[in-house]
Amino acid sequence: MDLSKVPNEKKLHLCKTYFKIGFFLLPFVWLVNAIWFFNDAFKKPAFDEQKLIKKYVISSAIGSSIWFVVLLSWVITFQLNRSNWGEFADYISFIIPFGTP
Amino acid sequence: MNNVKRSILIFNVLYLLQYPIESYGDRIKDKMYEDIPSSSACFRKLNGTHQIGCSSTRGGSTGVIHFCDTEKDLEDILANGTGYPYIPILDYGLFNPTILDTMISSDKVNGLILYTNEDNPVKNLTHEHPCPNPYSSIEGTCKKESPWNPWGTGLLYKDIPFPIFYVDSEKDMELIRSCFEKFNNFSYSEQIDRSLCSLELKSFMFATTNTPTCIRRSNIVSNLNPQKFCDPLGNQNIWASLQPLAEGPKKNETKPLKGYKYIIVTAKLDTTSLFEKTSGASSPATGIVTLLTLAKYLNDTIMMDDVRNAKKNVLFFLFNGETYDYIGSQRMVYDMIRGNFPLENADNLDVLPVIKPADVQLLIEISQLGNAKGKFYVHHLKENENINKFLDYMKNYTTPDTYESVPNSLPPASLHTFLKNIPDFPGILITDHKTTYSNHFYNSIYDNSGNIKFKYYNLTEDSKNDELLPKESIQYFIKNVTETLGKSIYQEITGKAYNGKINADTVLIDELLHCYLEDANCKVHQAIRRDIKLPKIPLSLYVSVKGSDNIASNLAGLTLGWLTGNSVGPGNINCTNTPRAYAFRFYNMSKSLRELNVSVCYQVTMNATDAVSPAFSIKDYDWTSGQYSSWTESTWKEINVRLFLRPSANQGKITMAIGCITMAFSFMLVFFLKSKSSVLFAPLLPTESPADC
Repeated sequence: MDLSKVPNEKKLHLCKTYFKIGFFLLPFVWLVNAIWFFNDAFKKPAFDEQKLIKKYVISSAIGSSIWFVVLLSWVITFQLNRSNWGEFADYISFIIPFGTP
Repeated sequence: MNNVKRSILIFNVLYLLQYPIESYGDRIKDKMYEDIPSSSACFRKLNGTHQIGCSSTRGGSTGVIHFCDTEKDLEDILANGTGYPYIPILDYGLFNPTILDTMISSDKVNGLILYTNEDNPVKNLTHEHPCPNPYSSIEGTCKKESPWNPWGTGLLYKDIPFPIFYVDSEKDMELIRSCFEKFNNFSYSEQIDRSLCSLELKSFMFATTNTPTCIRRSNIVSNLNPQKFCDPLGNQNIWASLQPLAEGPKKNETKPLKGYKYIIVTAKLDTTSLFEKTSGASSPATGIVTLLTLAKYLNDTIMMDDVRNAKKNVLFFLFNGETYDYIGSQRMVYDMIRGNFPLENADNLDVLPVIKPADVQLLIEISQLGNAKGKFYVHHLKENENINKFLDYMKNYTTPDTYESVPNSLPPASLHTFLKNIPDFPGILITDHKTTYSNHFYNSIYDNSGNIKFKYYNLTEDSKNDELLPKESIQYFIKNVTETLGKSIYQEITGKAYNGKINADTVLIDELLHCYLEDANCKVHQAIRRDIKLPKIPLSLYVSVKGSDNIASNLAGLTLGWLTGNSVGPGNINCTNTPRAYAFRFYNMSKSLRELNVSVCYQVTMNATDAVSPAFSIKDYDWTSGQYSSWTESTWKEINVRLFLRPSANQGKITMAIGCITMAFSFMLVFFLKSKSSVLFAPLLPTESPADC
């Protein structure tokens, strides 16, 4: 969809919908939302819906960065401790690498 | 003339065309390699607490080869060579814990190739523990100051961080050496500037850490790619009775002969080595051959009536996996105590009698007999009425030069398992050594026919065998041991001294040793399996993993069946197809070694039971307890060795630079084309704006 051809109120609606969908444990939707509407929120000349769009874009960006930090720290913790955790780590793994403790 | 030219042209075109048709899809990346097919890998095994053996890195370990004739050569190249990482190539005789530590601590070694240097024979080479099976043998039976296997380095049980291969064929070694001489073997300090002959060793092992870890990982079902990481070591125990354990000819009407006592003769069936390849002359071949010869000897001398009158029968056991903490005997004792031998739930089935340890009058284990100096030793741990009686019988058939009893002593043997479970179990061990192994190559690939000085005489029936066989030959020694044991068992069962004229079959001993040490496609194997064609090399005697087909133990079982079986008619299709008594098996086999082509139907008491450690069937077994054998073998995808020429560092850098430049240039070109596209590609038609989408 080419955003430049979408009317402003539809943009707001889209942005709001993406923001809401993100609450269903979908941080990538927030990320997409933040990037997609970044220009409309900050770069475009002011229009009526811009304030709300800006709010949703910022919230989505914050939400996805929190997710990013949490996921990253989990991945680091898990990778560092996988062999120490033994049984527990094996049971929560989808793929167990060959030839590694 | 024109026509001729044209047809030549067409022929040439067709000739060129067939090149792609004939190709086999060898990839260019594989064409730079030369395979070393005779290589045999060291692989990973695991127990309850540790991993042992070797593994390459994922995708294979590579290194520059270097022939080391002495330990100094190795130290020099590690100190001065610039082409590292290296893969040293060593004479197997030089391989020891010190040299291995040098390699590990240098951090410049990525793998190791071992080979046999015929000019440099070794006096002893065994990588087994000084006290074999230290954790499953009875405490105090192996003294630290004078262990059974004093030359043992224990390297078999070390976790080695790089792959090791043994290369068998001289042709392959010649190929590697010529490559080494041409590219590597000069000015070591400038190696980094040259292309160098290198090897790629692939033996990446899937399992790590220990048995509980890899078993758990193999069993996880929530996994996206269910994959086996390791398999329990184990196979089948072979057993047979001298005379049938049940009576009655017809199906469903056989009745077990209950209330009997048993004399058990056992030997172990397996060996191991640092590599996939095994030998195994003194241990276990001499034991197996003696047991099989004894089976035939007793079958010729002891009749069913003798057995029935005495209510004493003889059982023959061949235990598998004894090298790895007595897998076979542990399972046998476990089953026996629970009334699951000879059949699972034997009491209710009522086909064969239940045999429990209490029914055993005496267990005679035949261990290594390959390096005797004309004398054999009988070890036993505790005094016992049954043992003393039997030793007295044996004295009657021997002289002090040929026989010695060794009380309060027990080398590593299956008997340990029985004694651990039943402390007053009556058992003796027959072997060729008194305090330390006379076999200097225990569990190594050098325990071959040369180690026991075996020479195949290809004896025939009517020639004067005893004159042909030298008194110091291994055949003659096994004959003596067999006759002594046979006559003593005869006296034990019949109560009378043996004064018959039957001798142990030297032709059989000669043929059996030939089978196990030189040629698997020998007469005995042809006699028991009329359809089989085996390679002209000895069979592997490694226990291998549960559920795999172990040809050596199958054939040993059939041989034991053949030698203890009774002929019940001519050999034909009815022999195996007609339904018969459950207590027996029926096979068409040759009448004898001399009449290979005469087929006879044999009624055989031989059968097999699982030789898999009970640890794998007990629920929530404590793997660290060490109660049962916990050995598993890692799985792997591929094992191979390839020779290739590693380009010099400069060539590598140039290739890399050209690649980078080409890539940068192509980006620039595309960018230029794109920015000038309106000029370069003038639109042919006026474009219409697309509909709103």
